[in-house]
Amino acid sequence: MSDFSRREFLKRSVASGVAGGLVLTGMNRRAEASAVTEVGTVIDLTLCDGCASLPLPACVSECRDKNKARFPEPIEDIGNYWPQKKKEDWSKKRGLTDRLTPYNWTFVQKVQVEHDGRDHTLYLQRRCMHCDNPPCADLCPFSVLHKMPEGPVIIDHDLCFGGAKCRAVCPWGIPARQAGVGLYLKIVPTLAGGGVMYKCDLCYDRVKAGKIPACVEACPRNAIAFGKKEEMRALARERVKKIGGYLYGEHENGGTSTFYVSPVPFEKIHAALLKEKANQAKPGLPGFPGMSVGVENMTESANGIAWTMAIAPVAGIAAAVGAAYKTMKGGGGDVE
Amino acid sequence: MSNDRGKIKRHGLSVILTHWLVALSTFVLIFSGFGQMPLYGRYMVDRIPGLSWASDFSVTLLIHYWAAAVLIGAVVFHLVYHGIRRDFDILPRRGDLRDSVRIIMATFGFGEEPENDKYLAEQRLAYVFIAFSLLLVIMTGILKVLKNLPSINYSEGFALWITFLHNVGTVLVIIGIAVHLGAFIFKANWPLLPGIFTGSIDREYAKERHGIWYRRICDDKDP
Ligand code: HEM
Ligand code: HEM
Ligand code: SF4
Ligand code: SF4
Repeated sequence: MSDFSRREFLKRSVASGVAGGLVLTGMNRRAEASAVTEVGTVIDLTLCDGCASLPLPACVSECRDKNKARFPEPIEDIGNYWPQKKKEDWSKKRGLTDRLTPYNWTFVQKVQVEHDGRDHTLYLQRRCMHCDNPPCADLCPFSVLHKMPEGPVIIDHDLCFGGAKCRAVCPWGIPARQAGVGLYLKIVPTLAGGGVMYKCDLCYDRVKAGKIPACVEACPRNAIAFGKKEEMRALARERVKKIGGYLYGEHENGGTSTFYVSPVPFEKIHAALLKEKANQAKPGLPGFPGMSVGVENMTESANGIAWTMAIAPVAGIAAAVGAAYKTMKGGGGDVE
Repeated sequence: MSNDRGKIKRHGLSVILTHWLVALSTFVLIFSGFGQMPLYGRYMVDRIPGLSWASDFSVTLLIHYWAAAVLIGAVVFHLVYHGIRRDFDILPRRGDLRDSVRIIMATFGFGEEPENDKYLAEQRLAYVFIAFSLLLVIMTGILKVLKNLPSINYSEGFALWITFLHNVGTVLVIIGIAVHLGAFIFKANWPLLPGIFTGSIDREYAKERHGIWYRRICDDKDP
């Protein structure tokens, strides 16, 4: 190979570089742009009174009623999650309404906070925030959670395996797990899988049909507004300005479509929620979210290094061209 | 050329480095990839001392990304380097399937092994299998990386497919590695082992088992 020319070398470099590069850049397919406008909600804490006159807040009872046909009906004899000696079974506690469970997709938290010398009692309707870049959906190892073009994040109950990773990566731990139902029972239930995850789907069926979510409709005090997401954002900001209040949900987890408006800082609400959780009989139980301000999206740090995948091929090509040139010039031939 | 009399040069530094970068990154990708599934918490891998981070998705995801970048770099290097140099010894040829069967039979004492070039027919086939599997996980992996970016959201069906193919690719990669390492159970292949660490293998072995290659490089280099 000592008669190997510079021109030939260049030609080959380009050809191989293009071949190698093509494999990678060809994959840079763009996501389909959605023509549908996204929806959102505003939850106004200055309006909600927790339905003091009712046995159960209207949004909660309406949600339970609307979704009851979709609640899990597990098998009788649910096995443990081998090798652990536990399982997550809420089916005997279907009546729980003070936290998120597979049978209760929304609930109202009550907090007392002091702000600017005044005591506030606040009621917070809690459910999935329907995030802009939901880690629950992005990181599901089977991609059975999905953000729909209209904005709601929904779980495919038929394909969910119940590993509960979505709950682990959700900053609020929203999805709730029920064992003894779903796909995993058909595979090797003792060894793998944990059931099915359940959460608010923003009444996707109703939204698709042009209606508003059941809880929004049920609220007697119009504390929840529903509409185009950008209009909701504007509404929430305007309201915050007017009352000199605080906004939650706009930046949390990289942005969500649920905007909470509060007369007191959310740091104080969060602290009160944590305190209440700590005082519960079993503080470790899931389904009682806090309101951590500015909470980060799980994919953020990984996204921060996504550029390495673009640099890597370039570095690979450069190094290969250099190494090939060196070995061929030196007559390395067949065995380098 | 390594003119140590008993040895013959089989792999250059670039090849050895690429092999080990690919192997290392792939092992890390398998471990951190399984970490993307909620396994290490449930099966208590995170209780093993020193592995408490294994069930932390934010940690394993970062590891998966870094290792992916290394693998991509090494694979692109491999393609471009050998593309320029036109070393295509490892690409399959007509008749490789039949020859592989003959080699395997010969290993068990049936019949004669065909005369081999630099790589055995079965190595060439194993190469395509591993290459295909790695390209599959790389391409679907890149699509998964894009999906995690804030502005990108796939349709439900597309996301399901990509994930499914990434998971299938994972299984294929593991099979490929198992077969590759399985080949070294057989004593007949042991003399190749020093090659991937030092670059050189036993001259007599090369002459006997890789006769076509041996004659070619000797004609070339040691007239
Ligand atoms: C030998 C190579 C690889 C193996 C064995 C492997 C294995 C896995 C496994 C088992 C998962 C979890 C299941 C899933 O989410 O599909 C996973 C997830 C993932 N892999 Fe890989 N992978 C490999 C290479 C790559 C490469 C090269 C990339 C990027 C270019 C990549 C990017 C990802 C991403 C982004 C995820 C999903 C994390 C998430 O979004 O949940 N992988 N991988
Ligand atoms: C992720 C892991 C690995 C991958 C993807 C991989 C891939 C490959 C490929 C594609 C080849 C080309 C020729 C052939 O198929 O024999 C090769 C060669 C080789 N590999 Fe690996 N390998 C891996 C790990 C290992 C390990 C752990 C060893 C163990 C010692 C090893 C030892 C060798 C040897 C000795 C050769 C040279 C064979 C020869 O000179 O003909 N590999 N490897
Ligand atoms: S709030 Fe949690 S479950 Fe709902 S979309 Fe966001 S990350 Fe997913
Ligand atoms: S939007 Fe529908 S599913 Fe979600 S909390 Fe309200 S009623 Fe329940």
